[in-house]
Amino acid sequence: MNLVAGTTGVEQTRALAGALSGLARAGDLVLLAGELGAGKTAFAQGFAAGLGVDEVVTSPTFTLVRTYPGGRLRMNHVDVYRLEHLQEVIDLGLAEMVDDPAVTLIEWGDAVVPALPADFLEVRLAYGDQAGDHRSLCLRTVGPAWAARERALGAVLAPWAPARGPAC
Amino acid sequence: MGAGEGARVLILGIETATPQVGCAIGGHEGVLASFHAARGRRHAETLAPAIDFIRRQARVELDEIGAVVADVGPGLFTGLRVGVVTAKALAMALRVPVIGVSSLDLLAFPVRWTHRRIVSVVDARRGEVFYGFYRQVPGGVQRLSEQRLGDPEALCSEILATGEECLAVGDGALRYAEQLQELIRVEVGEAGLAYPSAGSLVQLAHARALREEFINPWELAPVYLRKADAEINWSTREQAPPQPGPVV
Repeated sequence: MNLVAGTTGVEQTRALAGALSGLARAGDLVLLAGELGAGKTAFAQGFAAGLGVDEVVTSPTFTLVRTYPGGRLRMNHVDVYRLEHLQEVIDLGLAEMVDDPAVTLIEWGDAVVPALPADFLEVRLAYGDQAGDHRSLCLRTVGPAWAARERALGAVLAPWAPARGPAC
Repeated sequence: MGAGEGARVLILGIETATPQVGCAIGGHEGVLASFHAARGRRHAETLAPAIDFIRRQARVELDEIGAVVADVGPGLFTGLRVGVVTAKALAMALRVPVIGVSSLDLLAFPVRWTHRRIVSVVDARRGEVFYGFYRQVPGGVQRLSEQRLGDPEALCSEILATGEECLAVGDGALRYAEQLQELIRVEVGEAGLAYPSAGSLVQLAHARALREEFINPWELAPVYLRKADAEINWSTREQAPPQPGPVV
């Protein structure tokens, strides 16, 4: 099932992610998809703030993985942008991360799906129709963990429901 | 190194293949000091101070260490990376050789007096286990199969296929104890046998050191068993943004 939302700027993207983090449970996997500058890291920042992490969340492009233990749930923030081979994704120890009592967000995660458990929420961010900072978000659940929360996802996204419903 | 010198070699063992982090120093006198912590999953923060602690308690100077041995897995990535890199760094700095030992060999070693088939099982997470079969031989254990990665069902069918009484040890055996105990003639080892022991590591490696079965530090590598043979399809990454948006 796909869900659509629209935001008018980066602060709204953060707020949406923060609201969504309220649904997160231990063992959850969230893939962040979208072009450079689409707002994947902003989404992760809002998600972390929603969990109660008070550290500054920065892009893990060069460190590959950063872990934030300070919130309601421990959050692993992964960026696979610099990796070339699926084996490298496995070598990050993702199986352990996902098995830990933590929620794991993976930037560019859509590119490495074959190396991931088939049970995740994909959030695809795209530039909006309007010029400027508008973004459209398309949420897709794969596997049982998030599919069971689709109704709750819809309720959380309601404030950001797009005026005219573009398909995604 | 001559045989006379070899008999006196002091070994530092580093054990990080599971949620437990451990280290030990020993040699021909057995284990002189050891440390294990099985809670917290803080391998990187714990290992170096622990090595220094046991070294001081055993009154061993670093330059007396003649070889470094590490558990190379299969096991958890987070721990193995810390253990292998620490072993390499110490061995290079001390200019001593290294030995890599399998986590599954280490789990089987403390139960080597049983006449049953031994199955070492390490929890690989995501519903999978690393496992291997062993039998008692004079002075130790002998591995009977390749080290494998599979789900508990695959492990159970392999156990059934042996047609023998089995003793299953390791955190993977405990996690899936119910499934394993449904098989008659299988006993699951107690929690005290859940993790490989750094003491066993030093004992096993001492015999190998006497036979000079060393490798160079740069040859030491973790055994992961999880394999993916594909390049990442980066069709998305290569696209330039359609419009120059602000970087957020």
